[in-house]
Amino acid sequence: MASADKTINTDVPEKDVFAIHFLQSLSNLRIQNLFNSPDTTNYRVRKIKKAAYVSMARAAGGTSRLWSRALLRRAAKGNNKIVRFPRRKRKVTWKISSKRRRSDQRAPVVEDAAERLRNLVPGGGGMETSKLMEETAHYIKCLSMQVKVMQCLVDGLSPK
Amino acid sequence: MSNRRSSRQSSSAPRISDDQMIDLVTKLRQILPEIGQRRRSDKVSASKVLQETCNYIRSLNREVDNLSERLSQLLESVDEDSPEAAVIRSLLM
Repeated sequence: MASADKTINTDVPEKDVFAIHFLQSLSNLRIQNLFNSPDTTNYRVRKIKKAAYVSMARAAGGTSRLWSRALLRRAAKGNNKIVRFPRRKRKVTWKISSKRRRSDQRAPVVEDAAERLRNLVPGGGGMETSKLMEETAHYIKCLSMQVKVMQCLVDGLSPK
Repeated sequence: MSNRRSSRQSSSAPRISDDQMIDLVTKLRQILPEIGQRRRSDKVSASKVLQETCNYIRSLNREVDNLSERLSQLLESVDEDSPEAAVIRSLLM
C-alpha cells in the first residue's frame, strides 16, 4: 500500500565510533614508520587523507551502504588488496547507464544538479536520483562527523 | 507502491513519489548548515538544495584536506616526552 512507512533512515553512529576507526588506521600508519621520515610529506598527507576516508567508510557501516562500499572498493584497488564483500540476500541492482535511468520524469534542472552530485558522492554513478539523495544525506552526516573527529584530534595535539 | 512495472532493468527502488522527494529534500535542508532560512519552506527549489549540497560536500572535502595536512605536521613534530605524545600513545596503543 502506498501508506507504507517511507521515512529514510539516515542515522549515523556516534562520534566515538568514527574516532576509534580513525585512530586505528593512524596507528597502522605509525607502525609502518611513516611519521619519522621527514622527506615524505606529501605522501604522508595523502596517506592520512586516505586513512580518514576509509575509516569513515568503515565506521559508517562498511559494506552496508552504497557509498561506503564504493569508497572501500576504490581504496582497495590502490592497495591491490582483495576486499571481501559478504554475500547479502538482496535484490540484484543493475548498474544503470545514463540512458536508461528511470529518472527522466524529474525536471531536467534537478537532473543537472543531481549529475553534479553523482560526481561527488562515491558510487553515485549507478544510482537513481531517489537513492542518490538518500545516500547523499547519509554521506554528508558521516563526512561532517569525520571532520569533527579530526578537528578534535588536531586541537588536542596542537601546542597550547 | 502500486506502480511497480519497472522490473526489467531498473534498480530495485520503486518510483519515488513526490511526497517522498519533498521529504528527502527537507531532510537535506536540515542537514545543510545555512540555507536561506528566510525562504518559505515550500518555495525552495530542489535544484537549489542540490546545488547547496554539492557546495557543502566540496567544502567538507577541503576541510578534510586541511585537517590531514595539519595532522601530518603535528604527528611528525611530536616530541617523545611531551604530554601530547603520552596522550597519543595511550590512545593508539
